[in-house]
Amino acid sequence: MHEMAIAASLVEHVLEVAQQNGAARVSAIELEIGALQLVVPEALELAFQAVTQGTLAEGATLKVTEIKAVAECRLCSTRFEAKIDDYLCPQCRQADVRLVAGNDILLKSITCEVQQSGHEKD
Amino acid sequence: MKKINVVESVLKANDAVARENRRRLDSAGLIALNLMSAPGSGKTTLLEKTIAALGSDAVAVLVGDLQTTRDAERLGRMASQVTQINTGKGCHLTAPEVAAGLDSLDLTGLRYIFIENVGNMVCPAAFDLGEHRRVALLSVPEGDDKVAKYPTLFQAADAILLTKVDLIGVLDYNRARVCEDLGRINTRAPLLEISAKTGQGMDLWLAWLREQQASATRVGL
Repeated sequence: MHEMAIAASLVEHVLEVAQQNGAARVSAIELEIGALQLVVPEALELAFQAVTQGTLAEGATLKVTEIKAVAECRLCSTRFEAKIDDYLCPQCRQADVRLVAGNDILLKSITCEVQQSGHEKD
Repeated sequence: MKKINVVESVLKANDAVARENRRRLDSAGLIALNLMSAPGSGKTTLLEKTIAALGSDAVAVLVGDLQTTRDAERLGRMASQVTQINTGKGCHLTAPEVAAGLDSLDLTGLRYIFIENVGNMVCPAAFDLGEHRRVALLSVPEGDDKVAKYPTLFQAADAILLTKVDLIGVLDYNRARVCEDLGRINTRAPLLEISAKTGQGMDLWLAWLREQQASATRVGL
């Protein structure tokens, strides 16, 4: 359900970076999505296509890598892989955690075609 | 072809506004609570009773709904400051919407701001609004399996309210199942059993709120 909001925010960033770099077109985007974000890749792809229409990023491929969730127990500091429905510390058997990975959506890179005639900015 | 490495959170624009909201609330000496649940879990009724107990001038409410000002009208009879945020098609509140809501309030003299999120058990959990505490509500008629079905909402909660507990006997509700699921998902948040209708458990909820308000404003959290 929140894929549209994520796609809109993503495309805003992508276009900002693309313009700063004098891009003529964005051809690929790499994204890391935390396992706890409940993002459905197909829904994100559809939302992405809708939001990029008529922009420099129209037709760009979206490469999504899922990042495993890592939790740190607030009581005994043990780090372990959390599952969406399981945050139980293997050491102290409590579910009182701070999430240290897998709860974010990161834009990793943008691949773009740079304008032929213009001067390329660094 | 040029590859540009970025490594930035896609929700950084939201998160930056959320931090600014929190800073504003801190400097006004307020605690903000984000109430999240499915539609119809009793958020508005709970707030009506809560405002009556805490005092209409101490509380402001930002109400998020896709459409209508019905909740704001109901709560406007109880609290002196209520702002309705209509999200249109948005299935959750965002930090900029809350920032605009804060602009509409006079923060002086307030002690609590309740942000009643859009009724939805999935999306609101992903968006920081600048709140200090997250409260998840689960009503008895929704069934005893919802903690396991929508774990992220409950994992991130600082308190979990089981509402409409006056219906437990009628609905053959398995309370132990909720506790068992929370045992894997969140053992830190207290589970408060409440009926806003009969008043059962309201004392525990109000005590929790006052404790959070005192500790948040003491440490400037």
